[in-house]
Amino acid sequence: MTRFEIWDLRLGNGELSPWGYLVFLLWTLLLVGLLPDQRVTLLLGSVLLFALLTGGGGLRPLRRPRFWTLILPALALGPLLLGEKDLAWGWLRLSRAGFWMGLWMALRAFCLTVAFSVALNALSVSEMARLFETVGLKGLGFALGVALNLLPTLQETSEATYHTLRLRGGFRRPWQALKLFLVTVIANALRHSDDVVNAAAARAFEPTLRRGEPVRFQRADGLLAVALLGLGCGFAFWPL
Amino acid sequence: MKTFTTRDWVYIAVFGALWGAVEITLGAYLHVIFPPLTDTFLVGVILAGLGAIIALTGRHFVPHTGSVLMIGVVTALLKALSLGGVKIGPMVAILAESLLIEAGLVLGFGPFRYSTQARQPSRWAFALAGALAVSWNFFHKFVMMRLLYGQGFTEVAVKMVKDGSQLLGLDVRYSIAILVVLFVIRLVVGAAAGWLAWDLGGAVRRRLAREG
Repeated sequence: MTRFEIWDLRLGNGELSPWGYLVFLLWTLLLVGLLPDQRVTLLLGSVLLFALLTGGGGLRPLRRPRFWTLILPALALGPLLLGEKDLAWGWLRLSRAGFWMGLWMALRAFCLTVAFSVALNALSVSEMARLFETVGLKGLGFALGVALNLLPTLQETSEATYHTLRLRGGFRRPWQALKLFLVTVIANALRHSDDVVNAAAARAFEPTLRRGEPVRFQRADGLLAVALLGLGCGFAFWPL
Repeated sequence: MKTFTTRDWVYIAVFGALWGAVEITLGAYLHVIFPPLTDTFLVGVILAGLGAIIALTGRHFVPHTGSVLMIGVVTALLKALSLGGVKIGPMVAILAESLLIEAGLVLGFGPFRYSTQARQPSRWAFALAGALAVSWNFFHKFVMMRLLYGQGFTEVAVKMVKDGSQLLGLDVRYSIAILVVLFVIRLVVGAAAGWLAWDLGGAVRRRLAREG
């Protein structure tokens, strides 16, 4: 094993299974809720390190402006809106306590978003389906696949229905129009779903039968879980 | 939980996709119009109300315990996989709402069970389930502000009272009344959503029967 492979935890290299990512996500959720403010920086460091070790794909949201529109307002508005104003900067009245509250808010949101992104980046739809099958929800993966494929069809149906109603002057009675719109879209989707059921039957699909290997809890997942448990206890109880 | 057939799973997928489409498209528009840090009341109530209508209409077509929860799971996963990226708040809200709908339907088998069909919830149970689902919007802010931003109960309640006093035109001194009114509005919207879902399910069924 090369030095790079030792540190490469990516799913494709057969090291961590989806369970490992799930453990990591639950660990982050738990610590975000439990840790005192100052220790959130330690958690953030660990989350970023894990994201880098797993290939860095989970850090992709950081390149999107949308991500920063969630984080930066908390940081910028904290001194203005939170806490008691104890600082004057020109005509602005600011709060030192508000700044710190805003900072911890932003860091918590940062941790959670990166953790979710890492977990979802590592799990493809088929991996999720296998995970659901392993925990006994055998049809849920199938349903997720069908739902993903249905989205464009629903969009087309909705647009067609909306334009038909609009051209017939249906929006003069908004409530009636909304009801008609929903009935038409749902009825069309259900009609389309009959084709999906027939296609599944033609392929001998049976939701109660297992397809593919179950997702097994690997040794690496166990090691990760132990490491995260130790780290979590250290973050929570080590005197700083 | 009963084992679902292939048709049940496809119907779960259909209603999950419908709810997901509402969350992804309308949710994005509403969050642009009302930025998330300034107004969660209106956006949350609209999305939760529509979600409850769709999920409960789905319950008409998959009449088994657990079907709404599965619709919620599919919706939450679609939201997570959507182009907008990972958004924890809506995912938690969708799952909580679907769980509360299930709870409402189970509770509805008791005092609100007027339906003649065996083990099928009545219109009143739908209204109760809808009310419980939309009421989550009230508690959502407390949970998410604690989880995401580490804020305590008091800070969130104070902010909610201030926003509520502006919205309702009431003085902040009536803080309890403001919180109660905000909660009751959610219950009423939810109950109306459940009531409408009952009608909508029937209307869709009649449309499908008429068109063969």
